[in-house]
Amino acid sequence: MGAGEAWIHPGFLFLFGCLLIPLLRGRVKKFYLLLIPALSIAAVALMKEGVYWRSHYLGLEIVLGRVDKLSLCFAWVFTIMAFLGSLYGLHRPEDGHHIAAYCYVGSSLGAVFSGDYLSLFVFWELMAVSSVFLVWYRGVPQSIRAGFRYLLVHVFGGLSLFMGMMMRYWSTGSLAFDRIPTGAAGLPEYLILAGFALNAAVIPLHAWLPDAYPEATVEGAVLMSAYTTKTAVYVLARGFPGYEVLAILGTAMTVYGVFYAVIENDMRRVLAYHIISQVGYMVAGVGIGTAMTVNGACAHAFAHIIYKGLLFMGAGAVLYMVGTSKLSELGGLWRYMPWTMVFYIVGAVSISGFPLFSGFVSKTMTVSGAHEAGRPILMALMELAAIGTFLSVGLKVTYFAFFGKDSGKVAKEPPQNMLWAMALASLLCFAIGVYPKMLYVLLPFEVEYRPYTAHHLLETLQLLSFTGLVFFLLVKKLEPEPKVNLDMDFSYRMGAKYFMWFDEKVIAVLDAIWGEIWKILGLRALFGGAKASVAFDQVGIDGVVDGTAYGVRGIGGYVRRLQLGSLQLYIALGTAMVFIILALAVLE
Amino acid sequence: MLVGFIAWLRKHIRGLRNLLVAYLLALVVLDFLLARHHPHYWFDEVFAFWAAFGIAGCFLLIKASKGTAHLFLSKPEDYYGSW
Repeated sequence: MGAGEAWIHPGFLFLFGCLLIPLLRGRVKKFYLLLIPALSIAAVALMKEGVYWRSHYLGLEIVLGRVDKLSLCFAWVFTIMAFLGSLYGLHRPEDGHHIAAYCYVGSSLGAVFSGDYLSLFVFWELMAVSSVFLVWYRGVPQSIRAGFRYLLVHVFGGLSLFMGMMMRYWSTGSLAFDRIPTGAAGLPEYLILAGFALNAAVIPLHAWLPDAYPEATVEGAVLMSAYTTKTAVYVLARGFPGYEVLAILGTAMTVYGVFYAVIENDMRRVLAYHIISQVGYMVAGVGIGTAMTVNGACAHAFAHIIYKGLLFMGAGAVLYMVGTSKLSELGGLWRYMPWTMVFYIVGAVSISGFPLFSGFVSKTMTVSGAHEAGRPILMALMELAAIGTFLSVGLKVTYFAFFGKDSGKVAKEPPQNMLWAMALASLLCFAIGVYPKMLYVLLPFEVEYRPYTAHHLLETLQLLSFTGLVFFLLVKKLEPEPKVNLDMDFSYRMGAKYFMWFDEKVIAVLDAIWGEIWKILGLRALFGGAKASVAFDQVGIDGVVDGTAYGVRGIGGYVRRLQLGSLQLYIALGTAMVFIILALAVLE
Repeated sequence: MLVGFIAWLRKHIRGLRNLLVAYLLALVVLDFLLARHHPHYWFDEVFAFWAAFGIAGCFLLIKASKGTAHLFLSKPEDYYGSW
C-alpha cells in the first residue's frame, strides 16, 4: 500500500474520459459510452484496500484514494449504476448531456475516495455544477428555473460545508476527513453536518430534491436519483455515525416523504419524495449508529440506487413515450407498455421491501437494527413509512398509470437500450433479493444478519398485504389531482417573488424619490459641507499659523482619522449624512 | 404474450380477488401457528399485530395526507406563476 502502488481512480476515468465523447460518432460513441463505466467497474473489482494518490499541497495533505470497505461499497454501486444509466441514456443525441453525466458520476466517485475535506469539497461542488446541466438539458422554461433554484440551494449547502471545514482547520490545523466523535462536535462540525445534510435532503433542507428532479431530463433524473443523496449518506456514515439528531430527522424523513408521495400527481415527483423517504432510512441508520444499522444504511444505499434508478427509468419511459408523467392524465398503459410496466413493478416491489427483492434484505436490516438498539418508536415510524411506500409507489402509481381509467393515450414501448437497462436493473434487484450474501460481503462491518426468517417474512407480508387491502377499499379517495403541493421550497420561491416585487415596487420608487431629494437638497448639503470644510481649514490653518507643534500634530491626527479611519467610522458617518439630508428634506 | 396474460387476469378478476382474500386469511392463521423467538417489546407478542398496523397505518396515512392536502397544501398548478 501507499502512494507508490499503481491504482486507477474510477472517477478520473469518467472525468477525463468525457473529453473524448465529442470526437466520436455513431456506434463507436455508443460503445465508448458503455466502455468507460465497464472499465470503472473493473477498476473497482481489482482495487485493494489502502491509501493511494497521496500528495502535499500548500502544506496540506491531499488524499484522493482512500480505499476501505466503506468507500468500496459505494464505489461498487456507483460504477454499476453508471453502466445502467449510460445504457439507458445511449440514445441521447447531445454530447453535452453525456459529458455532464460523466462529470457528475466522476465527481461523485471522487468524493467517495477523498480522504481530506479540500478534495471532498472540490468534488462536492463539481457534482452540483455538473448535475444542474442534467436539469437544464430538458430545455423547458420550468426546468431552467428549477435548475437555478437547485444550484442556489446547493451553493448555500456548499458554503456551509466550506465555512465548517475552514473553521475546523483553524482550530485543529488539519483537513483530514475522518469520523468526528459525538462529544467533539462544535459549531464547525455542525456546519459541515448541515452541508452534508442538505445534500442528503434531510428535512427541512430537502425541498430542492422534489423541486428539481422531476424537471430533469428523462435520462438525467435516473442518474441524479442515485448520486447526490447517496454520496451524502456516504460522508455522513464516514464522519457522523451515532448522531442522535440524524436518527430523529432520518426517521422523520421516512414518514415525510411518503406523506407527500400519497398526494402527489406527477409520477416522477412521487418517486422524488420517495428518495427523501428512503434516504431517511439510511440517515436514521447512520444516526442510530450501531454496527448493524450503519451496515443497514450502506446496504440500503446499495439496493436503493438500483431500484430507484429502475423506477425513474420506468417513469422516464412513460414520460418519453407518452409525453406526460402526470397520473391524472395517464391510465390504461398496460396494453401498450407491458414490459415497462413489469420492470416498473419489479422496482416497486423492491422499494416496498417485498421478500425476494432487494429492498427486503436491506430495509429490514435498518428496521431490525432500530428494534435491537432499543428504539421501538423509530422502528414503528419506519414501518409506517414502509406502508406508505407500498401504497404510493407500489399501488397508486402502478394502478393510476398502467391500469385505472383508460386515458385514451396510445403509446409504444421505449427504445431497446432503455428496455435493456430496465431489464438489467430488474435482474439485479431480484438477484440481491434472492442472494443477499453478495451484498452483505461488501458491507463495512462484520455482522451476522439473516433476513429470511419465518418471523421477518410473516411480519413483512402481513404489513404489506393488509396495506394492499386498504388501498383497494379506499382507491377512490386516492384519485390523483392536478395540483401542486406546498413544501419548503415555498419559502424561497415566494421569498424571491416578494423580493422582486419589493424591488420593483418599493425600492425602485424609493430610489426615484431619493433621486429627487438629492437633486433638490443634495446641492444644498454640498454647499453646507463646503462651508464646513472651509471653516475647518481655517481652524487648521490657524493652528499652523499659531506655530505650535503640538497643535499641528493634534490636527494632523484628526485629519488622518477622517481619511484613513476604520470602515465602521465611514459607515457611521455615511448614515449620519443620510439622516441629516433626510432631516433637511422633512424641514423643507 | 404479456398483454394476453394480463388481459386473462383481468377477465378472471373475481377469482383473483377470492385468491387474495384467502392469502390474507392464511397470513393471519400462520401467525397463530408460528412460535415467537425473542420478543423485545409488548407488540412483538400481539397476535397479527403487523396486519392490524398495516390496516391502521394505511388508513391513517391516506386520511392525514389527503386531508391536509385539501385543507391547505394543494394549490392550482400555476400557483407559483413563473417562479
